[in-house]
Amino acid sequence: MLRRALLTLAGAALGGLFATQAMAQPKTEITFARFFGACEGDYGTSQDVAKARGECGVMTTLVNLFNATNKDNIVVKPQIIEWGPYYQQLNARIAAKDIPTIAVMHAAQLGDYTRYVEELDGVLKEAGIDAADFTPNARTAVTVGGKIYAMPWDTHSWLWHFNIGLFKQAGLVDAAGQPLVPKTVDELLAHARQMKEKTGKPYIIMATSGAGDFANGGRGYYSWLYDQGGSIFPAGYEKADFKTPESLNAFGVFEKLAKGDYITKGLDGSGGLGGFMNGIGAVYMTGTWRIDDFLAASAKPGGALSEGYTTRVFPNLFKNQAVWTDNHSWVLPKGGSTTPATHKAALVFLKFLWDHNFDWARGGGHLPSRQSLMADYAKLPLRQYVVDIPSFGKALPHEVRRQFGFQNMIGEEVVNIINSGKTAEQAADAMQERSVALLRGR
Amino acid sequence: MGRAAPGYGHVKTWRQGQGFGDRVVLLAVIALAVVWMTPIVWVIGLSFKPNEILMRSTGGIALPPFTLKNYADILASSSVFGWMLNSAIVALGQTVLTLLIASLAGYGFARTNFPGRNLLFVVVLAALAVPEQAIIVPLHTMFAAADLHNTYTALIVPRLAFPFGVLLMTQYFRAIPPEIEEAALLDRASRLKVFWRIVLPLSIPAQATLGIYTFLHAWNDYFWPLVSATRPEMYTLTVGLASMQTNFAQTEGIGFLMAQAVFAGLPVLILYLFFQRHIVSAVAGGPVK
Repeated sequence: MLRRALLTLAGAALGGLFATQAMAQPKTEITFARFFGACEGDYGTSQDVAKARGECGVMTTLVNLFNATNKDNIVVKPQIIEWGPYYQQLNARIAAKDIPTIAVMHAAQLGDYTRYVEELDGVLKEAGIDAADFTPNARTAVTVGGKIYAMPWDTHSWLWHFNIGLFKQAGLVDAAGQPLVPKTVDELLAHARQMKEKTGKPYIIMATSGAGDFANGGRGYYSWLYDQGGSIFPAGYEKADFKTPESLNAFGVFEKLAKGDYITKGLDGSGGLGGFMNGIGAVYMTGTWRIDDFLAASAKPGGALSEGYTTRVFPNLFKNQAVWTDNHSWVLPKGGSTTPATHKAALVFLKFLWDHNFDWARGGGHLPSRQSLMADYAKLPLRQYVVDIPSFGKALPHEVRRQFGFQNMIGEEVVNIINSGKTAEQAADAMQERSVALLRGR
Repeated sequence: MGRAAPGYGHVKTWRQGQGFGDRVVLLAVIALAVVWMTPIVWVIGLSFKPNEILMRSTGGIALPPFTLKNYADILASSSVFGWMLNSAIVALGQTVLTLLIASLAGYGFARTNFPGRNLLFVVVLAALAVPEQAIIVPLHTMFAAADLHNTYTALIVPRLAFPFGVLLMTQYFRAIPPEIEEAALLDRASRLKVFWRIVLPLSIPAQATLGIYTFLHAWNDYFWPLVSATRPEMYTLTVGLASMQTNFAQTEGIGFLMAQAVFAGLPVLILYLFFQRHIVSAVAGGPVK
């Protein structure tokens, strides 16, 4: 009896000790550098990821949920910065040794940062993240020189968004009432002409006048370049070539659209978006992230999209199905984990994000980075038309430095073609010259 | 009958005493004011419109629906008043220290002789031609080496090297007749005393101009705080508000962007409303009555 009492007492004491230790487990704080904005007003305390909408809403809710539910006493401290100068600040932080534990990074930037971020091959495995589940596009996006440097978070790409009402008016729909998507440049121009004749409206709306709009032209150019199997680096990464037949063809599509007055001129991002929602043109060139906005607009009666809205992958006009893609991913900057506990905590949080990849795709408007989620993703509205993008999406190889620089410069030249009447040849010449300066800093 | 409203008599004089040319100037000034005010009114109007509406059109700012949500979203951030305080500390700190340094330097260049004065003045002027971007990397490296980033010191000190301020004060001090000081110097007042008691009060219009310019520059500063204050608790208002913008704010969050612009400008506007008489008087070069 006495022995049992003593054992019970000892057990209770031991339990109490463990409980005390658990309670006294110190908090591990990790810093989480990202863009996507802040939205405390709508999601400041929300933990209901299913209800979160938009990149900011999903990210904020995921962090709230993790901080509230993780069993390891980990606190994720977001460090949010505007998207435009995000990389300038990240560079400054690395230089000043004020390094975040985890940071968001575009795949297009990863090649420039491999010296500054951890290799994750073994680390992902340790975190319980199965790299075999990466989509082909996601795998390419985070692999540099055969090594994985980031956890892929999504794939985003360039689409055509259709105002079905205008396509019906122009007689450019099939028997099922779906828009006819051109398969060649000639067909594109014929459709554009028909649209203009029947509706008096331009075939394509594209934002071309804001500083943030230059990427649009770059994404379109790349899509039609890849569509031909072309490259701006046909002979190594030391010298770009914008005068290849494929490059001239890609610029040439924009030139033909502009000459025929089939594409809007001088609109900024806001004007383009508002213009599409108000029916000023038939097709809007923008990203995967806009699908839900346009679906919501089309559900409202009396609007310009109320006769129907749909989307398709950026059409291939040449020979290969290919389209521009980029990816958000998560990196562990070297020096960001100051202790083994911080590093371990970062892995726990990465695994949490990995487990919520579908929430990001659903609410954030991007494609998942996990192959196992694709079947469910395809069930979301209109996603059956874009779900295959990770199998044929393309990006510049990681060996190409300053990829955003290239994208914006190409976009500027596309804008010059559309708004200022430059020819494809002149745009290619200008890019040829400008690329030298961009590559000089290699 | 009480006193006439301030300015009434002035208007009367204007109407009675001015000719056709002055009226043309007045009309031109009014037209310019309208041109200047229109975008501001537009910004304020858009800030009270729902973002969903603005995604379709940015016209019709005077028509409902209206919303306060854009401002509520700003105020919902737990950090926003901290950022405002940071901006106030940095802007006031920069203003006070710039006035002090530029005035002393300007007085030195204008009134004292020392070896290499002209050369040094040329060097200061040459600094006007050096763009901020050219020195940002070494500046950042220096402050990183001193482990000073994410401090008020880092936010204030680099901006104190302000050649325009030195130039402005030098030129102003040169325009003050030296005879005013000579009497005091003959009475064995020290240079510092002459500067403090005689020259500085005479330079209030220039001080006001420089002060306003410095304060506004510091309040609106973005690039240096962006790379120096990288921890959210040290953000200034410009960096903090920008960090709240979603990636597609320019298309889907226009009302929010406009509310941010109004919110960021409001403290400066309030300051101006309180001190406008002093500011206008000082800038115009007249004494404060």
